[in-house]
Amino acid sequence: MIAWAIARQTVNEALRRRIMWVFLISGFALIALMPLFGYLAPKDSQTVLRSLGLAAILLAGLFITIVTCIYLIPVEIERRTIYTVLSKPVQRFEFVLGKFLGGFITVSINVLAMGVVFLLMLYLQSLRKTPDAGFFPWITSGSFAPEMVRGIFMTFFQMLLLAALTIFFSTFTTPIVNFFLSFGIFMVGNLSSVTDSLTTNTNPIVRTTGQIIHYLLPNFGNFNIQNALIHPTNEITNPVEYVRNNIIYALIYSAVLLILAIIVFDRREV
Amino acid sequence: MASNMNRIPPETNKRRTILGIAGVVLIVLAGLMQNRIDPQRKEYHDKENVETTNAALGGLNNEFLLLPLLGFREAAAGLLWVRCDEFFHSGDYDAILPLVRLITWLDPHADNVYVTGAWHLDYNFTDASERSDRRYIAPALSLLDEGIKNNPNIPDIKFEKGWQCFDKVKDFATAEGAFWQAIRGPKGDFKTVGDKDQDNEGYWPNAAPLKDVHMLAHTLEKRGRLADAMEIWDMALERSKVVLAKKPDDFAGKSMHDAEVHNRAEDQQRFFDRYSYTNHSANNPTKYPAVYAVANTNGGKVGPFDVALSATIDVPRPHVFKINGRVNLADGGRIDVRITDWHYKDRVAAKDLRALEPPDLSQTILIDSISIRKAKFSREMDMSKDPKMYSFSNKDKLYKIVLTFNSRTTSPHIQDYSGWSGEGLIDGKSDRVMYDMDPGQLATTMIEGQGGKGPAWDGKTIPFKNYGQPPRIIRMTFKITEDQAMGNKPITNADIVPNDNETTIMLK
Repeated sequence: MIAWAIARQTVNEALRRRIMWVFLISGFALIALMPLFGYLAPKDSQTVLRSLGLAAILLAGLFITIVTCIYLIPVEIERRTIYTVLSKPVQRFEFVLGKFLGGFITVSINVLAMGVVFLLMLYLQSLRKTPDAGFFPWITSGSFAPEMVRGIFMTFFQMLLLAALTIFFSTFTTPIVNFFLSFGIFMVGNLSSVTDSLTTNTNPIVRTTGQIIHYLLPNFGNFNIQNALIHPTNEITNPVEYVRNNIIYALIYSAVLLILAIIVFDRREV
Repeated sequence: MASNMNRIPPETNKRRTILGIAGVVLIVLAGLMQNRIDPQRKEYHDKENVETTNAALGGLNNEFLLLPLLGFREAAAGLLWVRCDEFFHSGDYDAILPLVRLITWLDPHADNVYVTGAWHLDYNFTDASERSDRRYIAPALSLLDEGIKNNPNIPDIKFEKGWQCFDKVKDFATAEGAFWQAIRGPKGDFKTVGDKDQDNEGYWPNAAPLKDVHMLAHTLEKRGRLADAMEIWDMALERSKVVLAKKPDDFAGKSMHDAEVHNRAEDQQRFFDRYSYTNHSANNPTKYPAVYAVANTNGGKVGPFDVALSATIDVPRPHVFKINGRVNLADGGRIDVRITDWHYKDRVAAKDLRALEPPDLSQTILIDSISIRKAKFSREMDMSKDPKMYSFSNKDKLYKIVLTFNSRTTSPHIQDYSGWSGEGLIDGKSDRVMYDMDPGQLATTMIEGQGGKGPAWDGKTIPFKNYGQPPRIIRMTFKITEDQAMGNKPITNADIVPNDNETTIMLK
């Protein structure tokens, strides 16, 4: 209950931050600009629209997550408001959990908003049956693709993992260091196809390094399913099971990061 | 430090221990989960590998680098494709090839990029007279093969391979294979009609669009396998009837159906006109039908028609070849011209196609054709304006000029007497008659009374492993030196050499 109260307060504060709105509006703008590529062949136009739409949600979501979460704990320490909180019957783990929940809810609201705009663009496209007729002449004709929801859903869990990672780093680093650390690990974690192939390398040093990176660092690349969404002919045996496994992975790994964050924050002198 | 630890309440210590243990257990669980996810993830990213990823990342500008690093390879590929489109419209063709390579590395499922890239390689690199640079055919076909390997379920890339082999290379054997591949589809079922039939756009996931079936039939016609072609038209008709039944007022569907009916009837008519002696005698006024070639072997009066191919070549300026000749063929026929290094060999592009470039840029090859007017043909082949394309730089300093008449690629009114495979033609100079003995070049089974397996049509028995007759072509070959190519020494009849089987009849 205490963690929930902190979470609500965190959401209110986070939504007031202008930088987050800048990223959100940029995300909306990117999505809204996608149909301008309608001069390409219809199939190419669909591919570009869908891939860039999902990329826009991810990019904006990524920056919103990092920028929101890196400040949540350090700002409280810097402003010394944490003393007021911790002097009340609030456990440190409740504070960390509350901050994480608040940060993640903020990110979720943003990802959801962008997802809705993206689906709306696809829907408007589907209303335009021919190149020269229908609503909104600047929108290219195309088909509504409800399967894109799966892509947005995976971005949602990717951001959950990233929020937990950023909160973990925020318990012992400055926001600037945290920004680069989180961003860097997100990039490495996205190269999971590469790190996975390193685990079978013949060189033992490369192989061990590959295994450590692949199994110990959060694997953000797991959540990239956009290729199959963009190219429906790329058939996958069991997409539902894959999504389910990744949700479990995101929950487990986020729990690990939060436990680490609690342990580190518990030991920290504030 | 020790005193600090002592001040920590025991319940806090206990909580930390429990959390620590839980953390370790969960990280092990996460690792196990990752192990479970990996095989499935490979399915999503099955065609991505370290080598092509590194190559793609190394080739990207900073503006595009961020997206693939963040996991959005497809978005980077999409933006690069937008850039490609700009280059297409501005005519900056050289800039397109590296981008096509990068895009297909970033997104191995971008089927349209494989198709457009290969088309671009095959058709857009030309000399000053708009003749294609045939050296680009090898990387184009390799790119398509890579696309097919990465996208085995997509008929479009297979269709494109078939089309380029059919239209550009005149390699009908490979074209047939590619169209079959496209038609069989992912489930190997080419007859089932899918849900998308009504719009005629595609039959996914059951089979390829009808255009693939049509092209297969046309390819079989080119190969002289009329019975097989008619069977394919029947198959197409079966499918288009279902489409029409669903949407009887669809104009496109009706047109498609009518075209199939017409094409099938035309094949049947031509089959009888050209090959059925009985039918021909009764109905066809064509002067020299292919069937008479057969009749000759059976004691008839008219034998294979002597085309009497002859030609002279002048070199008015260095690397400019003025070809004049005569051939007893009607207007509308064409003589293929091929000017190459003496030892020119069609190079196959490397399998790991690092750059979309010809395997050997020092090779010289020109392929063109000259139309026949009043039994004569004449044209100047100017190879002097494009030294990059025609370097004339081989070590032997020897070059080959080959003039060919190929029945399989000629107009239907000439095929009426030449037959699909040249059965009705002969040349008085026997060394100008060639048979393409490639077992892949299955020929007609149509000649009446032979069942396609009997002796060849002109009194000789041509051994051919499969069935029917091998395609017969009329050809003459000149062997010239560097001096002759420069115009320092005339090209005469003494330079005519026996045709060699290594020089393909395909246009590559």
